[in-house]
Amino acid sequence: MAEHPTTSWQAMQDGNVFYRQQRLYTLDGKLPSLGDSIVAGCRNGGPLALMRDTRKIISISPAVPMLAKSQIQVFSPSGEGLLLLSWEQAKVICFGWTGDERLVILNEEGVYRLYDLQGDYVQFSLGTDAGEVGITDARIHDDGLVALTGSLQLLEVKGWEGRKPLILANPSLSEPPTVWTLIPPDLTISRHVEVLLSVGASVLSVDNLEAVDQRLSRGPFTHMAPSPNGKSLALLTMSGMLWVVLTDFQRSLADFDSTSVGAVGPVRQVEWCGNDAILITWDALVLLVGPRGDTLKYLYVGPTFAVTEVDGVRVIAADACDFIQKVPASSLSVFRPGSTSPSAILFDAWENFNNRSPKADENIRSIKPDLAAAVDEVIDAAGQEWEPAWQRRLLNAANFGKSFLDLYNSNDFVNMGKTLKVLNAVRQLEVGIPITHFQYNYLSPSHLISRLTSRNLHLLALHISSFLSLSPDDVLKHWASAKIMKSRPVVSGSGKDADMIGDEEVSRAIVEKFEKLGGSSVSYAEIAKKAWEVGRTRLATMLLDHESRASDQVPLLLVMKEDRLALQKAVDSGDTDLVYHVLLQLYNRLPLGSFFRLIEDGGSSLASASRLLQVYAREQNPEMLRDFYYSDDRRVESAVLSLEEARRMKASLEPLMCISVNRRPLQDPAAKMMDEYSRLLAFQQTLEKETTDKIEFFGLSVDETIKKCLLNWHRFWYLKLHALTASRDFEGLEAFSKSKRSPIGYEAFVRHLVEKGHPREAVNYVSRCDAPKRIDLYIECGEWVMAGKECKDRGDRARLDTLRSTCPNTLIARELDQIASTMK
Amino acid sequence: MTDHPPARETVDVSILREIARNSLVHALNSVNGAKTLVLDPSLAGPLSLVTEVSLLQQHGVDKMFWLEDGALSAPTTNIVYLCRPRITWVKIIADQIKRHSAESQKHTYTLLLVPRTSTLITRVLEEEGVLGDVTISSYNLQFIPIADDVVSLENSEAFKEIWVDGDETSIYDSSQAIHTLQKLFGLFPRIVGKGDHAGRLAELLTRQTTLHAGVDRESLLDVSDTFDSLIIIDRRIDMITPLLTQLTYEGLIDEVLHIRNSHIEVPVSLLNVPSNPNQSASGSGSTSVAPAAPALAQEKKRKYHLSASRDPVFAELRDLNFASVGKRLNKAARRLDDDYRDYKARNQASVSQLRDFVGKLGGLQAEHRALQLHTGLSEMIVPVTRSDIFNKSLEIQQNLLASYDVPGQITAVEDLIAQGAEMQIVIRLLCLASIIAGGIKSKTLENIKKEVLQAYGYNYLPLLLSLAAPPLAILLPNPLPSSASSAVSSAKYPYTALRKSLRLLIDGNESLDEMENDISYVYSGYAPISIRLVQCVAQKGGVLSNPANNKEGAPEEDGKKGKSTFLGLPQAHPIVGFKGFEDVVESIAGRTVNITQKGAGVTNGASTTLRQWSNRSRSFLSPNASFSVAASGKRTTITVVFFLGGCTFTEIAALRWAGFQTQGRKFLVATTGMVNGGSMIESIAGIGRAAASSNEANL
Repeated sequence: MAEHPTTSWQAMQDGNVFYRQQRLYTLDGKLPSLGDSIVAGCRNGGPLALMRDTRKIISISPAVPMLAKSQIQVFSPSGEGLLLLSWEQAKVICFGWTGDERLVILNEEGVYRLYDLQGDYVQFSLGTDAGEVGITDARIHDDGLVALTGSLQLLEVKGWEGRKPLILANPSLSEPPTVWTLIPPDLTISRHVEVLLSVGASVLSVDNLEAVDQRLSRGPFTHMAPSPNGKSLALLTMSGMLWVVLTDFQRSLADFDSTSVGAVGPVRQVEWCGNDAILITWDALVLLVGPRGDTLKYLYVGPTFAVTEVDGVRVIAADACDFIQKVPASSLSVFRPGSTSPSAILFDAWENFNNRSPKADENIRSIKPDLAAAVDEVIDAAGQEWEPAWQRRLLNAANFGKSFLDLYNSNDFVNMGKTLKVLNAVRQLEVGIPITHFQYNYLSPSHLISRLTSRNLHLLALHISSFLSLSPDDVLKHWASAKIMKSRPVVSGSGKDADMIGDEEVSRAIVEKFEKLGGSSVSYAEIAKKAWEVGRTRLATMLLDHESRASDQVPLLLVMKEDRLALQKAVDSGDTDLVYHVLLQLYNRLPLGSFFRLIEDGGSSLASASRLLQVYAREQNPEMLRDFYYSDDRRVESAVLSLEEARRMKASLEPLMCISVNRRPLQDPAAKMMDEYSRLLAFQQTLEKETTDKIEFFGLSVDETIKKCLLNWHRFWYLKLHALTASRDFEGLEAFSKSKRSPIGYEAFVRHLVEKGHPREAVNYVSRCDAPKRIDLYIECGEWVMAGKECKDRGDRARLDTLRSTCPNTLIARELDQIASTMK
Repeated sequence: MTDHPPARETVDVSILREIARNSLVHALNSVNGAKTLVLDPSLAGPLSLVTEVSLLQQHGVDKMFWLEDGALSAPTTNIVYLCRPRITWVKIIADQIKRHSAESQKHTYTLLLVPRTSTLITRVLEEEGVLGDVTISSYNLQFIPIADDVVSLENSEAFKEIWVDGDETSIYDSSQAIHTLQKLFGLFPRIVGKGDHAGRLAELLTRQTTLHAGVDRESLLDVSDTFDSLIIIDRRIDMITPLLTQLTYEGLIDEVLHIRNSHIEVPVSLLNVPSNPNQSASGSGSTSVAPAAPALAQEKKRKYHLSASRDPVFAELRDLNFASVGKRLNKAARRLDDDYRDYKARNQASVSQLRDFVGKLGGLQAEHRALQLHTGLSEMIVPVTRSDIFNKSLEIQQNLLASYDVPGQITAVEDLIAQGAEMQIVIRLLCLASIIAGGIKSKTLENIKKEVLQAYGYNYLPLLLSLAAPPLAILLPNPLPSSASSAVSSAKYPYTALRKSLRLLIDGNESLDEMENDISYVYSGYAPISIRLVQCVAQKGGVLSNPANNKEGAPEEDGKKGKSTFLGLPQAHPIVGFKGFEDVVESIAGRTVNITQKGAGVTNGASTTLRQWSNRSRSFLSPNASFSVAASGKRTTITVVFFLGGCTFTEIAALRWAGFQTQGRKFLVATTGMVNGGSMIESIAGIGRAAASSNEANL
């Protein structure tokens, strides 16, 4: 029987608040000496990375495992060695953990690597500038890092995809800050990273826009730690005063004199325990400072290392790994000595029931109204317990209470049971992920599964994901790539044959497993890529055949130099961007001739790729387009291309040349038109010369040219009519109209004048129009009376009447009446 | 003309606007601090439909510029470029970045590409040597609601890109956007379509659905109960309709004043109305117009958002044939006058009555302003419709549609060239003649091409070549030269057969009022083929005879129509593809699509955010919906009609009209953009209609 939960409790603040120290694992010297190492801990029960602190002299003793000089070792919280890295590059400045448990190591040349727990890494750089001035320090958070350069600039890297570093606002420092820290972007108001630098007596807060001096006077500070929720900041001054403020420095939360405890030596760490207490560690002492300045002392053998968690703090010492947290409300309510809360009574009732005591019934009766809430609380308390025995007891108690309720939704109960099974499984010594229930909910189950796969614990991960009915895809994917890596073909066999058998076997194994467990939804492309990366082309091709998503398939095909197939798949996908991706890659890689041949040979199935290439080339690379047309013998297109170029070039002889050179390939009629065009351009040039370049003719259409030259008879009438109207030269128009019988008739005159707003002038031409149209034309000019007269002349009585009824005002109506009366 | 019920039972498309807004805000917020926004002018219109300047300012936009050649002097460190992934834009951007670095100005550049990032752009930036300086990200702008039953991608170049350049990007983008619709409202139970590219789109769409379903199970979609089908109309299937002059009010505004992204430019004086209501209300009652338009045209212009929801008068007018607009304006004016008179009569009324009225007064004034505007717009349009060229081209169109004396019409087109008609009018008529007659006699065609080139410039030679080249092939000689590919010759358009089988021409001899009993009213006697094809799927009775006539006749006779309800409207029949019209549809070249989609079947409790949106939207269905459910025992379903390559305002009007003829089905129009013949021809010719004048951008 595990000991009662309250034995690990310690009271603070007059017994109102309890903190508990939960022993997670006993380590017994599995780790190298923490005092002589630089340590980085990963949150949420993640592993520790250690590197020997080269500034310290260490005593060599066989009892303690030791690290060689340029080695970094990764241990699970249960003290199992996960990984041993040797670092050959320039001096390591800083290392830390990403949110998905990858180890980031940054060196002084600005190069950083991301190692997964299998020791595979990707490498990025902070740029050449950073390399030149050097990196002096850095801070790493879950989703990026901020580095301090030798020139005291701050560089920020967002995400872990190797993006270009951004330069934050210049803090204009003259010397390195005594201490500095950052608040991750997801915890700040601006959603951008905020860096806090302790400079002199004050603190500078820097983001990518500005550096603000907070004008403090209590500095310089030796330690600085933001709380897990980013709202408060713990500062330790030179004189050992602990000061807690809001991160915007608007309100001071607490003051505490750390020297009053009488600890020896310098402070090792200031870390947060959840969001409301602070842990200060010395070589021989660990001190928990509550919000009101109350303290709790914990004693460990030798130096310790503390990792802040969202709901507490993990303390690693030479002999043990502990978790210190404020006792959660539900546990407190159930187990607190003398608690009379319904949940405590429920638990008591269950114990009585087990002891066959009649008090059980009495107890249940007394809390009947609150029973549902009590059951909920007991279930929650079960989630907070580390010991499976106590978890079981609490769940049993909840189950017992539940049976007294008529209506109760057992989802929470069932879920808690499931979750605890999962948590207990991963907390085992061999796995060593001491994740709490709170952290598990905070991170999501799928995150936990990815952590398991990254430790190559595929079977456990698969069991858990099927237990939680999650998709097994990620696990399978990881498994398959691990399988490929592990099953490196034995080259020692009989050469190629042995290779092939290996490939087929692996491929079959993978496909079988996928089809059995994952359905069709697993991406084969990623696995194929892995296979390609380790040099197993055949295996990659085999796997790629099973991939259905073109966007995943194509890039790999390209890498594998399956050009034709890649282009075909891209075209089939209908994603033009993908087609461009392939085209541009191929254009770069292949000799021009074979590039063109590839496209042309594709025929109609690659036609759309060919057209896309033309669209791109027309804008960006006309030379290439001309070559393309030439190689494909497309004369019309290349002629049009030249024509377009000619259009762009103005007033020079070149277009002429372009056109005359290119007209030949065009088919008959079009060639004739090109011919005419070039003649026109030539003619326009002579015209321009004749007018001593005062009038621009070049590039005009024939009509426009004529408009300028006033040539051509039939069009001339229209043109002159429009021109004279536009210039309001009505006398000129009159003279012009009489100069000869109009070939376009006079109706055109009337209509054009009316259209341009000169009805009065238009009237003069109505009489010269065809008789039947005159009435309408008069009306259009607004001359109702004239229209009336016309009616009279033509003896059209009916029309006159309609006129009278539609006329706009009475004055006209009266006049029309008059005309009507004179009729007959 | 029947009065339509005002409330429309359709899905709430404003969700799409919300999504667009949110993702814009998100994209802007990814850049910290004050920023200068440099905007692709072709995006200004679409953006103005989803956001307003103040929203941008709230999210740190300090200043806005058009993306155009020349140096950029930005006051802030952050510069955000927002543009479509076109090479021209990127070159300008690269140039500006290089200039900045030459002047050693420090800026951080973010490039937001609409609707998604592109390898092409990365490549061009790389070639220009500035890739390292730019953070590239995307702003996924998809369907924008431009009316409560129209959503559009607002890409005016789509037609040219697909059928002239062969660039299928917009098909892909369309499939993405339609997929978003599916995510919101569920899978289309059936996809019907006609045309090669429609087939391609349907293919992409179904593939995407299965792919997405593969990725994670939660995104598996259910078959929608809001939509009953998606009908994809490939613009190439019906080139005739856009080539004709649109004759509805909105259509004519588009033809004359060019509606761009639902905005038109109107003289300022039309928007600022003198406030004395009585005087002008009676004044605007008369629509007989003196030719005052030229004076108006010179005035300063301002943008006006044509929107039926904000402008009740426009809602009433937009789909009317222009011939009846005057009458309707008159009626509206008189009604308004009555309302004002009411107010006067109540001068002696009690205080509470007065208060009621004063409450209404704001609405009246808004209506008054709208009325004034539309009277002014009509005044601007009327002179155009009276012009010689306009009428001649209408006459040619009508004759061509009736296949009457085609050579004579071509001669008439030649006359138009001589008269200096606009290039687009001439080309539209020529293409029309070519499609209807199956090509123009080679000799005549060569002649007229020559005249076009002489009159408008030889730089239109590529345009003429593009029009003749496959896959467009809408300006062809007859007989075809032997060199032409078989694809062109086999794709001859069976217009004469269609005219009969789809009842395209309705005798226009009756007065206009009576003609509005068929969709053909939108072109004064010609029913758009595209809409007839939609009717073939969704309103089969309407193809055979006028539904409006049937209504008065005996609806019981027609078994297919179902029982006539007390509303008098027949119940819409279920969607079964082109059944009954297979022969007609097959006679048109191009693939025919008819796909039934099956959904997830199982619904797990987990629902995506988008789903929740859609649930919310369902409750937005107007109360009428439940009303008709009660009446017919069947809920109203939405048929989405997607025009690949753009649609015209007349087609929308015709669809709306068709939608009012039955109950139980409404149409939602989706399109790549709004087009008309003019804008199509001009985009092929490479003449941009966008004219951004000032350097400093605004929406």
